[in-house]
Amino acid sequence: MTQKLDTLFRYSELIIYKTYADLKAETERTYLGFLWWIFEPLLYMSVFYVFFELLLKQGTPNYVPFLLIGLTAWQWLKSCLSHGAETILGAYGLMQQVFLPKVMFPIILVLTDTVKFFFILALLLIFLWGYGYSVGITYLALPVVLIVQLLFTMALVFFLAAIVPFLPDLRFVVENILLALFFMSGVMIRGDIVPEAYQQYYYSNPIVIIIESYRDILMYNVWPNGSALLIIGIISLIGIWLGTRLIARFEYIYPKIMV
Amino acid sequence: MKSKQQTVLSLHNTGSFYKRKRGVFGEPFWAFKDISFDLYQGETLGIIGRNGVGKSTLLRMMAGITKPNKGTFVNYGYQVSLLSLQLGFIHYLSGRENAVLSGMLMGLRKKEVKSKMDAIIEFSELGDFIDQPIATYSSGMVARLGFSVAFQVDPDILLIDEVLGVGDAEFSQKSAKVMQDKIHSNKTIVFVSHNAVLIQQLCNRVVWIEEGISRVEGEPESVLKEYHQFLHLA
Repeated sequence: MTQKLDTLFRYSELIIYKTYADLKAETERTYLGFLWWIFEPLLYMSVFYVFFELLLKQGTPNYVPFLLIGLTAWQWLKSCLSHGAETILGAYGLMQQVFLPKVMFPIILVLTDTVKFFFILALLLIFLWGYGYSVGITYLALPVVLIVQLLFTMALVFFLAAIVPFLPDLRFVVENILLALFFMSGVMIRGDIVPEAYQQYYYSNPIVIIIESYRDILMYNVWPNGSALLIIGIISLIGIWLGTRLIARFEYIYPKIMV
Repeated sequence: MKSKQQTVLSLHNTGSFYKRKRGVFGEPFWAFKDISFDLYQGETLGIIGRNGVGKSTLLRMMAGITKPNKGTFVNYGYQVSLLSLQLGFIHYLSGRENAVLSGMLMGLRKKEVKSKMDAIIEFSELGDFIDQPIATYSSGMVARLGFSVAFQVDPDILLIDEVLGVGDAEFSQKSAKVMQDKIHSNKTIVFVSHNAVLIQQLCNRVVWIEEGISRVEGEPESVLKEYHQFLHLA
């Protein structure tokens, strides 16, 4: 028992240090370093601001904050999925040399991308407050939505990372699935635009629920749909458990894959 | 050699295969197919054989990285690791950070690596360079750091695949020397090589592997004699 706990501590320590090392390495690669974690989304958001607010001048009021909230949440999920898919495959060299629990690799990736996401989130909040929105009581629900999204992301990343080593071609499909998901997840549109007949399907997409929850909190100051979030959270936890089992099932097979 | 020694690892008719497609699909091909021997506490066991007889795959199984596909492999509760140089090194990080990361990947705790840092810096002769990114190092300096870190990791059983000394001529001698001291000490070591001279020098006992099968096991002299006879016939 104490040995198991000891192993758990050892790997947790390793995961945290590797996350730190990866982030640090990323900042060392450029002159501006970690400032890029702020500048890049800033540039990205400016494009949308210029296009929708200044050029299009389209009718929907408050479209820019609406869109930026969607994009921020979406980017977090997207970067985790597209990078995370390759984590176990990419650790091939390392796993030939030493035994490491393979589930470590997707966890490290999700952590690094989450740290970067927090910079963007901070920027989004500053933008929203500058735009005229204020902090309401419903902000208390924000951590819950963040945790639900984190769990949901982890579940998906574990499955992808588990399968990609066997089907490396999947990587090309993932990008396109992500593009399709982008259009179906309410990043750019409001739910009530979706025709009545499809509403049910539209709202069975967890990403829609998550993104709308952020908007409820940050723009409309209403409480998000708690029961829907709870269900997503529970399903995600089950998904994480299954994904971990799947990766563990192939623990000794992955090192035999020849890339 | 003492007669009553504790068995630490035991292999009985073990075999391990890869598959033709990506290593996991299609027809299997055996990297090694029938290997049996025991490893005893404190000895240095040499494994000799020509290239491509499955020696590296065998070490990987002994290190617990893969599992055998046939036969039985028992580890009686010891920590086994492969001597790996520059494990997980990241180009943009400093020597110190890479030492910590590499040491942790090899199974040390962070505080253990930190307590060994002075020894690492001293042995690698890096001095103040330790806090520079390794991207600025010469390949010799990276090799020195890699060896110094790996040497600090002290598993119960150390598996060595061919390499003893690394780096430029001078450091290569120095590293080979400490490695040989370690091998001569009371550590349990498995040393894989196709260099009969080294095996003869370093090992108490030798297993000869041919075509994935453990052919002969015993005193270095007699096993190597048979191995040479075979090579001349082959």
